[in-house]
Amino acid sequence: MSLADRLVVGAMRYPRRIFLVLTAIVLLAGWQLPSIQVDTDPENMLPHDQPDRLFHDRMKQRFALYDLIVVGVVNEQHPAGIYNSQTLAQLHTLSASIAEMAGVVRQEQMALDRVDNIRQQPGGGIRFDWLMKQPPADQAGAGEVRRAVERLPLLQNTLVSGDGRAAALYVPIVDKSESYRLANEIQAVIDTLDPADQYHIAGLPVAEDTFGVEMFVQMAISAPLAGLMIFLLMWLFFRSMLLVGAAMIVALVSVIVTMGLLIGQGYTVHIMSSMIPIFLMPIAVVDSVHILSEFADRYRPGEEPKAALRTVMAHLFTPMLYTSLTSAVGFASLAFTPIPPVQVFGLHVAFGILLAFLLTVLFVPAYIASLSPARLARLKDHRIDENTQGLLARLLSATGRFALLRAKGLLILFAALAALSLYGVSQIQINDNPVRWFKQDHRLRVADRVMNEHFAGIYDAFLVLEKASDGSGTEALDRRLDQLAQQYGLQQPLAAIRNATETNELQSYGNALIVAFDEASFSGSAEDEAGWLALIDTVEQAQMQARYFLDPEALGYLDRLQAYLDANDRVGKSNALPTLVKTVYRELQGGADEQYRLPASQQAVAQTLLSFQSSHRPTDLWHMVTPDYRSAAIWLQLKSGDNRDMSAVIEQVDAYLATHPLPPGVSANWAGLTYINVVWQEQMVSGMLASLLSAFVAVLLMMILLFRSLTLGLLSMLPLSVTILFIYGLIGWVGKDYDMPIAVLSALTLGLSVDFAIHYLERARAIFRRSGEWPATVAELYQGPSRAISRNAVVIAIGFTPLLLAPLVPYITVGFFLATIMAVSALVTLLLLPAVIGLIKGKQRLFGVREEIENV
Amino acid sequence: MYNWLARSLVLLGAMLSNVSLAADLTDVDEIVRRANLAAYYQGADGRAEARMIIRDGQGREQMRQFTILRRDRSDGGDQDFLVVFSRPADVRNTVFMVAKHTEGEDDRWLYLPSLDLVKRISAGDKRTSFVGSHYFYEDVSGRNIRDDQHRLLGSDERFYLIGSTPKDPASVEFARYQVWIDKQTFLPMTIEYYDSGDRSYRKVEVIETETVQGHPTVTRSQVSDLRSGGSTRMEFRFIRYDLGMEPGLFSERSLRNPPREWLQRPH
Repeated sequence: MSLADRLVVGAMRYPRRIFLVLTAIVLLAGWQLPSIQVDTDPENMLPHDQPDRLFHDRMKQRFALYDLIVVGVVNEQHPAGIYNSQTLAQLHTLSASIAEMAGVVRQEQMALDRVDNIRQQPGGGIRFDWLMKQPPADQAGAGEVRRAVERLPLLQNTLVSGDGRAAALYVPIVDKSESYRLANEIQAVIDTLDPADQYHIAGLPVAEDTFGVEMFVQMAISAPLAGLMIFLLMWLFFRSMLLVGAAMIVALVSVIVTMGLLIGQGYTVHIMSSMIPIFLMPIAVVDSVHILSEFADRYRPGEEPKAALRTVMAHLFTPMLYTSLTSAVGFASLAFTPIPPVQVFGLHVAFGILLAFLLTVLFVPAYIASLSPARLARLKDHRIDENTQGLLARLLSATGRFALLRAKGLLILFAALAALSLYGVSQIQINDNPVRWFKQDHRLRVADRVMNEHFAGIYDAFLVLEKASDGSGTEALDRRLDQLAQQYGLQQPLAAIRNATETNELQSYGNALIVAFDEASFSGSAEDEAGWLALIDTVEQAQMQARYFLDPEALGYLDRLQAYLDANDRVGKSNALPTLVKTVYRELQGGADEQYRLPASQQAVAQTLLSFQSSHRPTDLWHMVTPDYRSAAIWLQLKSGDNRDMSAVIEQVDAYLATHPLPPGVSANWAGLTYINVVWQEQMVSGMLASLLSAFVAVLLMMILLFRSLTLGLLSMLPLSVTILFIYGLIGWVGKDYDMPIAVLSALTLGLSVDFAIHYLERARAIFRRSGEWPATVAELYQGPSRAISRNAVVIAIGFTPLLLAPLVPYITVGFFLATIMAVSALVTLLLLPAVIGLIKGKQRLFGVREEIENV
Repeated sequence: MYNWLARSLVLLGAMLSNVSLAADLTDVDEIVRRANLAAYYQGADGRAEARMIIRDGQGREQMRQFTILRRDRSDGGDQDFLVVFSRPADVRNTVFMVAKHTEGEDDRWLYLPSLDLVKRISAGDKRTSFVGSHYFYEDVSGRNIRDDQHRLLGSDERFYLIGSTPKDPASVEFARYQVWIDKQTFLPMTIEYYDSGDRSYRKVEVIETETVQGHPTVTRSQVSDLRSGGSTRMEFRFIRYDLGMEPGLFSERSLRNPPREWLQRPH
């Protein structure tokens, strides 16, 4: 007895046990579902310990950077834009209300009412004051606010757009996952404001959180809709509740158990895994439909159903096993992509497909065994389109004849298509942008467009320059101190002081030493005083030398790099330490434009900064440089969040660094969400290639094993290869960005679309072995078998179409391309395979007829 | 014997506390006035060396060291301050000079030696950071007691508890604050600031006091920013009062040429 036979017999003998076990598993899995946790953070596309991500997190901490919600205020009517007392008053109210909200880091909030102004005072003095502590009472006051902002490079084009039409509030939040709630709270305040101004809420955290919420909506709508669609389609094909019901049960159980498994293991549901139900359902129903419809054809009322089912299974088991395995392999190959959410998705769908197969061979026989003879008889009533005069039938046999007659022409056509596609593939634009995951008219997309139109850009990237610690570490200092101490005979007290000092960081180590030396110089003997003072001096020198980014040369390099960046069209604006130093220096020197430059010495820089630190927001300095002055960040405001633009900026900076080498010991690295997106995209592109190749090799090996023939194995890979090439060529031609969903599709369609070729070649071989003639084989092949293939393609393709109704773009993309790939690959199978086989000499050997005869 | 000593001490303590209880003030303005004098007007003039360790929310440190000279024009009235920085070395000899007025805005000057620049500074308010620390200018020079409405909220054996609300709420970042004033010394020992949501967000605490020339004096204090987790510790040493400083000491000349005689440590 074969494995298939044993499974069928066992399942039919103990249907009740199978139902019980299934029910238990479904309950267990279903019990996990409520603890679902959605994760839409694009950062999680990278593993937690990925180096770029770790660096990004460290920089966020080091420069005290928070995730930001950006609220935009736009006034298109007033001649002075937002610089009118009414709008500024509204902005003031809004900003004050936001500062009170729980989850907002209020001391870091940036808005016109929360920043400082520095300006010239009549008589040569300067004045430090809030820029807009109270909203101005009249237009003159509003004009003053404008003049102030336009003089402050850190604010201009960041807090208010250059055209004066838009103002921005930067709302730092404690936790990204609260941004949807906060955005709603902010919206509630906005709704109470004067509608003369338009308000927009933007920023990546809001986009992510909103995506999560809408993802739930899509799962709640699209997945059931997909189920309904498949149900209706099957109903249309078969008109039998008994048959369709069993298939639907298989699909539902696979979905519930797979999702339960995913959630139960503690995985979060990411964009990809939220599509699992939609992927699984069409794939899961196909096999049971095969079994049930063929069983119904063979079964004669009054007979023992077991015999008929055993015949059906003997015939279908191997192709079903292989189609399931290849589909599973296609999805599982995603595990080779170094992106955790994609891995989780791929592996779980693979599991779901194998589960669906297992359910098909166990549950369906048990289902049949539990049917009463009356119901079994009714199963017969299902309608399969066996009408050879139907439109589909006529079309298909015409296709067969055409493929046979025009084999050479078809081959040339496909070769030409392949060549064109290859060119298209070479034109593919690799690009993504999480904000584009929303539809064009989504309020977040609108906000994004409006804000980037007015401002220098609201996408963040940070270029971090770090000075390595070699030569200025505590060891070098200790050596110098030892020498001095020896000179003054202070070795012992120095050793005691050093032992009591815990820190290793040069600045605080130095501070601790200075405090102790100072104490010793005072309380010790008079003759030791000179020694202690010399030691203090050495420590101070070392500390000063170590404060690298106070050095005008270091600042000069930063300044030139900034100038280069600012000249780049993709960079709206850069903000960094030189911007701040030059602004304060200019005001200290009387405010003339030509004084907007860097001070000449480290001391002058330090004193300029000390003046700045006597403001309401001294800690703003630490967003640009660390308190030890060894690492500085250039904040880039980018006009576009497209990965392609970020990549271009990275390349241009690399080119600049090649011709303008960084000062010795200084390294430059990127951080920021826009950069992180580029990193995971690059990982995905290279990972996808690995997935695609590994899936190709695995499926090819399985095909060779299945057909026991290298040629047939290669042939079976032909239609899907052409299809994938064609689809991706089309993407290149049309100019659609190669983004996350499109990348993921390549590997998994390979496993799905090979099914058609398996069925086609299996039947072709069987018919040829019987008929021994190729034209006769084709004629028969384009009857029932081709109709089954077309029907499958239609079920799967249409099964994915509810995704087109999703509110989020990645789902639409996946739905559209899967449907297209299924339809095209079915068509290519039906056209290309007969043409190629027709041209192969020695079909006897191809289909293994001779061996078969010899074996017999 | 020890028993006897202990009992006498308890008795003495009780007597002393009775004395202070008997002397309890009920006039809140009098308490605030005395606290103001105790905290900012000891002697006719004074000098001290201060060291601040500024620590941010991540524990990263910065140091500031300066000498502060003060001369009162009248007790409880106008005062002059001269603050001369000695550390970090790159801001050495930077000088702040403040003429504090109880009526109208203070006059402030800044001298930056490496820019060789004397600059007159005016500030919209005194609640800006004192050289990047968590102290405000107002914490160093004293907040005008007439800017707030004070209320005696209660008292225990050691402290008066005063609640204060600003007369012009728009001019400050707090909604109210509470001060615990030592009944013996009248030094404000703890001040807690509350925001408009009535959350405590800032705390100034005295950690150590010493009596210098008969004046109870704060020698160590700390400000904590409860929002960011950062704090600044300030330590005063080499404190001397009634040195006989001349009014001319607090002039533009002293900005460029800090008065060495007053900056030197008294031995």
